[in-house]
Amino acid sequence: MSEELMQQILSISFYGASLALILIGVYGVLTKKNLIKILLSLTIVDSGVNLLFVSLGYIMNGTAPIFSPAIMDGKIEVLKTAPMVDPVPQALVLTAIVIGLGVTAVGLALVIRLFRHHNTTNIDEIRNLKW
Amino acid sequence: MVVANPILYVALPLLVAFLLPLFGKIHKELIRVVPGLLFMFLIFNTVVLFSEVTSTGKPIITQIAGWAPPIGINLVFSAFSGFIAGIISIMGLLVWVYSYKFKKVEFDNSLKYFVLIMLVTAGSIGVVLTGDIFNLFVFLEIVALSSYPLVAFYRGRDGAEASFKYLIVGAFASIAILLGIVLIYSQLGTLNMAEISLRIGEMPEKIKITAFILLFLGFGIEAEMFPLNGWAPDAYSQAPGPVGAVFASMTAKAGIYTIIRLVFTLFDIDAGYQLLLGMGIITLVVSEGIALRQEKLKRMLAFSSLGQMGLLMIAFGINTKAAVVAGMFILFNHAVIKSLLFFSGSYLVYNSENKNIKDLFGFGKKLPLTAFLFGLGAFAIVGLPPLSGFWAKLSLLMASADSNLIALIALILIVSVVEIVYYFRVVNGLYFKKYTGEFEPHKPSWNASLVMLILAAVIVTVGLYPDLIYNYFVNAADALMDKANYIQNVLPSNFVGLN
Repeated sequence: MSEELMQQILSISFYGASLALILIGVYGVLTKKNLIKILLSLTIVDSGVNLLFVSLGYIMNGTAPIFSPAIMDGKIEVLKTAPMVDPVPQALVLTAIVIGLGVTAVGLALVIRLFRHHNTTNIDEIRNLKW
Repeated sequence: MVVANPILYVALPLLVAFLLPLFGKIHKELIRVVPGLLFMFLIFNTVVLFSEVTSTGKPIITQIAGWAPPIGINLVFSAFSGFIAGIISIMGLLVWVYSYKFKKVEFDNSLKYFVLIMLVTAGSIGVVLTGDIFNLFVFLEIVALSSYPLVAFYRGRDGAEASFKYLIVGAFASIAILLGIVLIYSQLGTLNMAEISLRIGEMPEKIKITAFILLFLGFGIEAEMFPLNGWAPDAYSQAPGPVGAVFASMTAKAGIYTIIRLVFTLFDIDAGYQLLLGMGIITLVVSEGIALRQEKLKRMLAFSSLGQMGLLMIAFGINTKAAVVAGMFILFNHAVIKSLLFFSGSYLVYNSENKNIKDLFGFGKKLPLTAFLFGLGAFAIVGLPPLSGFWAKLSLLMASADSNLIALIALILIVSVVEIVYYFRVVNGLYFKKYTGEFEPHKPSWNASLVMLILAAVIVTVGLYPDLIYNYFVNAADALMDKANYIQNVLPSNFVGLN
């Protein structure tokens, strides 16, 4: 199998997987009644988006862009850099993961507060405000 | 001058927010003094930078870590973004003065409160100043993450419920924004807003529209656009009184800024203006209609605030110079008047169990100053002359007349009548209904009264002499609408000219 074909199959499976994760997460947020399950679904959507982002910059057999070994090309020494993955999406996804963690932590703290107040995590039973 | 720099807007509040617990260890009073000093410095910063921008007529571009944009991250302090940053810092100072004694009760709570206020400030000003779309996302998340705990601040109320609702909606907003950014990055390979704006034509049409809709959706949630604003009334009404003012004058400003930047600068889709106009009309009509039916004062104020956001979207959606100037005027008014209404309104319902409007009947005699200032704010927001709200509405009406949008004029006038009905119901109750004596009013502390008087003075002064600040609105509108100028200033070398 040629390398290009592999690359294409890989990227399609990345996109498919991230799309599936996003859809599963959205389904969970819309249908689940338990507050913690809703938060879990949100993190699943987050992972889907992060996977999509990181797969954008991925190259097969690419190295990290920090350091690239020299490749000897023929008799004359030509310095060619090895193929590198795009570092920007990785840096951004790191940030996005941290933000997602923050949101989840605040959400869980709110769930604890809600549970103490209402003694339930069922969203249908917490209806002091109009939803 | 050397001391003033746009980066301090973001760096200092963040630094203070993280150091505040340490300050608290040194001396307990420091946690309340230091934020005030910070806000004063931010205002000084604004004055210095703004005079520089006005005298040179060019935005100030700050590069971070020495990398020139489009590779590095930059902050853009223009007549438009600087103006909003200025409003946010001044309102921050007023919120601080207002809450100075409000939070005297407990050390832990006031520490938390001021840390969160600092974070909201850093985030909102960062959103307004940044020239990098991913940074914009990060700052929006800082705003959202610090708003959730502010909504749930009081344990006794249903704050946690409102906050959870806000969190779910906010998480969807951030996912939509992130997906939009992914699409843009995958096509253009850049995150710099000026470069995106320059090269947006290279994107395939379908992907461009998808990215636009995703970003519009995400920013629309933050800008409290109907039908994505279900979280807002609960958040406003469950949060502590001054936080309502924080939402109206800081986070909502950041939200509307993002959506304006999206439509005006980032994308070149003409239908974006019409979409903004249409969503604005829907937001205005629905919110004011719902406000009419509210029994609780703060919910009514919240829906009225959403209506104002709709009015703002209409003004920017018309997209003529006059309309954008009117939009800047409404933006300024919304910050000032809504804050006055939230400040005075939260004292009116201070001891009321249900915060109902009928609980505050007859308060004109009990709390003469607060009731008077609330009345003044109500008159100003519905647009009675000679208060500042009148000029904003008049300039919007004239701008829509220039664009031949006669139906829009009729609509805005009808909605204004609705506004008058529900505000006058409250003012009428304050002065002409009998006090039923269910609870004793809480007298506002001197600092709260001072803040309300300052805001009222601003409303009256701007109403009598609108020319005092009108030029700033015009400059801001110029800076916003001149897209080529923005790109050229951020990317002097890459600029090839826009057709």
